[in-house]
Amino acid sequence: MNNSNLELDRVPANARSKALRACLLCSIIQTPQEFRRNGCPNCEEIIQIKSSTERIASCTTTYFEGIVTVVDAEHSWVARWQRIAKYTRGVYAVRVKGRIPEDVEAELDSRGIKYRPRDQTEQD
Amino acid sequence: MSDTEEHDYQHEEYDANMQEGYDGEQQEQEAEDEPVADSGKAKGQRREYYDDEEEEEEEEEDEDDGEDDEEELSGKKAKKRAKHRHKRSAASRFLDIEAEVSDEDEEEEDEGDYGDEGFIESDVEDDATRRHHAILNAKRLDEEEDKSPEQIAKDLSRRYGGRAALHYTGDMNEIPQRLLMPSVHDASLWQVRVKAGRERDIVLSLMRKAIDVEFTPKPLQILAAFQRDSLPGMIYVEARSAKQVAQAVNGLVGVYPSRGIQLVPIEEMASLLQIKKQDQTVTPGTWVRIRRGKYSGDLAQVVDITENGEDVGLRFIPRIDLTPRDDTAVDGKKRKKTGLTTGTMRPPQRLFNYEEVIKVWGRKHVSKRNQVYVFQNDTYRDGFIEKDFKLSALILEDVNPTLDEIQQFSRKQDGEADTLVDLSVIAEASRKAAISVLQPGDHVEVFEGEQAGVHGVVEEISQDVVTINAEGLDLEGQKIELPARSVRKRFKPGDHVKVMTGQNADETGLVVSVADNVVTFISDMSMQEISVFSKDLREAAEVGSSTNIVGNYELHDLVQLDAQTVGVIFKTERDSFRVLDQHGQVRLVQPHQISMNRNSNKAIATDSEGHEIRINDNMKEINSENRKGRVLHIYQSFYAFLHNREYQENGGVFVTRTRSLASVAPKGSIVKPTGDLSKMNPAMIPPTGGMVGSGTMGRGPRDRHIGFTVAIVKGPMKGYVGTIKDTNGNIARVELRTGNKLVTIDKDKLRERKPDGTLVPLENRFKAPPPRPGMSWNSHATNPYAAQDGSRTPLGMVGKTPNPYASDAKTPAWNASSRTPNPYADGGKTPAWNASSRTPNPDLDGGRTPAWTRTPNPYASGAGSTNGGWQTPRANTTAGWATPGRTSSGWGGTSPAHDSGSAWGSSSTAGTWGSGGDSWGPASAPTPAPAQAPTPAVTGTPYPSTPAAYPRTPAGVSRYDISSYSSVATPAGGAFYNDEADSPMDDLPEQWLLDPELAPHMKRIKVEVQGTRHMNYLNGDYEGKVGRVDGAAQVAAGYEQTVMVELEDGESRSILLRYLVPVQPDKENQEVLVIDGNYKGVVAIVRESPELSKVVLTTKGDEQIKVFEAVRHHLVVLYS
Repeated sequence: MNNSNLELDRVPANARSKALRACLLCSIIQTPQEFRRNGCPNCEEIIQIKSSTERIASCTTTYFEGIVTVVDAEHSWVARWQRIAKYTRGVYAVRVKGRIPEDVEAELDSRGIKYRPRDQTEQD
Repeated sequence: MSDTEEHDYQHEEYDANMQEGYDGEQQEQEAEDEPVADSGKAKGQRREYYDDEEEEEEEEEDEDDGEDDEEELSGKKAKKRAKHRHKRSAASRFLDIEAEVSDEDEEEEDEGDYGDEGFIESDVEDDATRRHHAILNAKRLDEEEDKSPEQIAKDLSRRYGGRAALHYTGDMNEIPQRLLMPSVHDASLWQVRVKAGRERDIVLSLMRKAIDVEFTPKPLQILAAFQRDSLPGMIYVEARSAKQVAQAVNGLVGVYPSRGIQLVPIEEMASLLQIKKQDQTVTPGTWVRIRRGKYSGDLAQVVDITENGEDVGLRFIPRIDLTPRDDTAVDGKKRKKTGLTTGTMRPPQRLFNYEEVIKVWGRKHVSKRNQVYVFQNDTYRDGFIEKDFKLSALILEDVNPTLDEIQQFSRKQDGEADTLVDLSVIAEASRKAAISVLQPGDHVEVFEGEQAGVHGVVEEISQDVVTINAEGLDLEGQKIELPARSVRKRFKPGDHVKVMTGQNADETGLVVSVADNVVTFISDMSMQEISVFSKDLREAAEVGSSTNIVGNYELHDLVQLDAQTVGVIFKTERDSFRVLDQHGQVRLVQPHQISMNRNSNKAIATDSEGHEIRINDNMKEINSENRKGRVLHIYQSFYAFLHNREYQENGGVFVTRTRSLASVAPKGSIVKPTGDLSKMNPAMIPPTGGMVGSGTMGRGPRDRHIGFTVAIVKGPMKGYVGTIKDTNGNIARVELRTGNKLVTIDKDKLRERKPDGTLVPLENRFKAPPPRPGMSWNSHATNPYAAQDGSRTPLGMVGKTPNPYASDAKTPAWNASSRTPNPYADGGKTPAWNASSRTPNPDLDGGRTPAWTRTPNPYASGAGSTNGGWQTPRANTTAGWATPGRTSSGWGGTSPAHDSGSAWGSSSTAGTWGSGGDSWGPASAPTPAPAQAPTPAVTGTPYPSTPAAYPRTPAGVSRYDISSYSSVATPAGGAFYNDEADSPMDDLPEQWLLDPELAPHMKRIKVEVQGTRHMNYLNGDYEGKVGRVDGAAQVAAGYEQTVMVELEDGESRSILLRYLVPVQPDKENQEVLVIDGNYKGVVAIVRESPELSKVVLTTKGDEQIKVFEAVRHHLVVLYS
């Protein structure tokens, strides 16, 4: 088992699957199973959704639109624009509807991290 | 090894490693230092982790393999999880988590190490440790050399793949989006066409492919790829060059690189990622519709929304089955369920009523908690059901709640009369829609916000901001920018408005009151008050419905509803009609419920005084009601449908018995000079002309195709033979011989099957849905004339036409083709004609030259212009014939004039003829009305008739159906008259009779009067009569062209040319004149198939008899 396989696993097999969910914080798209097994590869630290169906339900959503795959995050403008350049390689949503739960928002706040909803409502 | 295992395994090593490295160091501090360490962790963590990893690798080999037994492994796993949670949770530093997990010694050490690490690394990093690390580092490097690439990759992944998972910084979140705009240094975006619906898969495939070939010599060079749902059929790939894109997508199924890989301009890059659907924000109070299930289509109001916006709590009117099947009510949920779900009918919407429900379902099925009832797992509050739905199961756009629906919501359950509808609720719902209907120039008013009350004209709209030019008082002329949602269209009483959408669409009317955004107006059509939202209105000048036509039926058509019932359409709605049937009942019918359009143009009846009633007569009732109106239709000579604009009821249409009608006009004028009662009796009318049609009017099938044996030549039923049982428009119902089945089939797919098995195209002249023009033409075209032709001919000669012409045996001999065969072979062009005539008259040259040069053109253009017109006979009947209705009265008065005119004509033509030798008198026949005009004609001009300068469709000709011609296969020999074969659609120009090429034979041309009845020309008395042309002269512009016609019944009078149509040959050996096409002007004999649209002819003459074909409607029968 190598790196590629690991990442390949993270690419959802079925693009049409209704079950796919996007993380409200980092917009990564995974199956709920993947979220449950390994959590969010980017922001597990904050949202802690691993093994918790409840957390997965509140911190991820099926309501997303547009998918982005970033091959070379460092040089990709798309990744930069989507603010996913520093994240792990994977499949991301262009737009995710909804906001993270308030406790997560508070947590981000306490760390001095600005929360940016992924629903493109804030334009600056 | 599975994924999970590896993941855990990794951490386990990590734990072990930490024990190794820091064992024994400052263990005792662990408890106290925990909080401090935790705070320092944020900084130190990453580095520390790397270090750990290095060591971990080193130890991998020697330690892992054997030493850990299963038990320890699992124990560590559990511990590790707990630890991670502990470490990450911000809140956990205030909690005594250790208490839960610190059973094992190891664990405690572990925790301790963890806490101390940060401390040590940030503060005291002693030399020993450094040295230790350096050694390890070197060792690691050595080892790394030996590792396989896979191993390296794995290590990297472990190191970097998990990195972010441990630390979320969100460091990019501070950067404003605008600073992220693409620059020229960034790679470009390329648009790639893909199969619609496969965009996501392809983007994912690209990702997989990229990972797959990452460590091969040829990795994908693309940087990213994405897809948007709103841009179907394309994906966007970020790469430095199109070539790299092409390489990346090469081999992927569903990608169409051949359709171009297009560069996205840099300024459009960001917008591609910013596209968002018109935001479907759902807020409590929003109206939505339920997409599926028992409540599909029902309106619901949003009560609450879950945090992530996926589930929406709705309040709506339940549909409780109050008549469950007996067994279901008795017991068990199991059966109940099946009873509910498989129910074919969904229960009606009804507010939840506790008493009703327990009566039917029993008390135990309903429980009550506080104010809420629970029934079948659903909660009911105030009669409404409250239920959670997925957002995707709701329709958020175009909800358009109607007033009725919203009234239901605002109604109180206890049935107390609800006060005024809370229009603000609807206003809210419709507000969003209102934005999109604003247009510059609209009068709007501001109804909320600081500027409330201001009104003005919309200047500009950009997205959600409208700029208005304020009106009134101090703001006059100022431009104000406002959010679109806070303005609404403004109407004031007296405005004339039109409804744009909704069930009242296209209604127009005068505004009588305005209350907030609900405008009430009085409809122009129904004279009723209609209330609509102002957003659905616009100011409009026009009156009435924009369209009176739905399907093939239009306002005031007489339609057959069922075998016994006919009715008149008096109102057209969006997709239905209001029909008044002959019994006076109003029905709402859909177009498909109408079996056919009936034609009563030819129908006649007698009124109370025994006078004839015709369509369009103004009549009044003689019984109590005394209503007056114009006759729209007569049905079975018994019912008359009348229309009077002044009556509001049923759009002014009413039905009465013909026997109770009397003419509004004074009696005298309607009594005809030939007031023969027998004329009014259809049965007694000799089968001539239009009377045939009217005689059969209203007696069932009138399509002569009915009863034909036909074969189906197209479609799935091809090859079947059957009998036409019924027709409606172009659709025939055919009873098949096999299987005794009735099928409905397009007439185009049918061919008449002769007894000998040959197939002949149905002469489908009357394809157009209103069969109105149909019957009468049929009757002329076929039998009656065949019979009368010979016997009546002498009658035609009784007239004042100089006999020599009519009977001149030499006339045909003169035929240009016989004398000058060559020019005609060339195609009968005008110059040729000129040459053959050999009468280069100075007059003609001088005065008429322009006319001559125009000859070819008017026809060309005439044909073109008429085509459009007569493909839609309906349009013709209204547009084209409107004028003659008025002129007809004038014509009545001119009859004496025509007498003198014809006399004069005859004398003058005699002279002309005498001098002219070869010149042809017929042309000199003057038209009665402009009798002053024809001077040039008399002065010996052989061709006084200038060609049609104003080509118009002859009224009668509009009855032809093109399709019958177009469907005819090109006959053999068609090559030599290409123009006809290629353009079978062309029609006779309106002034076909005046064509100079026809002039030599004009006086023998047999014409029929057609279309007069509809326009009431000469009272329609002459409809269907045939006769020979006596003469015609070009009239001055602005006058209607008239022609002297010597009718077969001996009468001779002038008739508007537009009502004259050529009589087409219907049997062999008839002498005909070609009046259009290549052979124009040629006299010929019908040789073959006179009943088909292509007729085989031979030229007449002594030498060089030619055989050719011509389109039948280009032929006119000549009197001998």
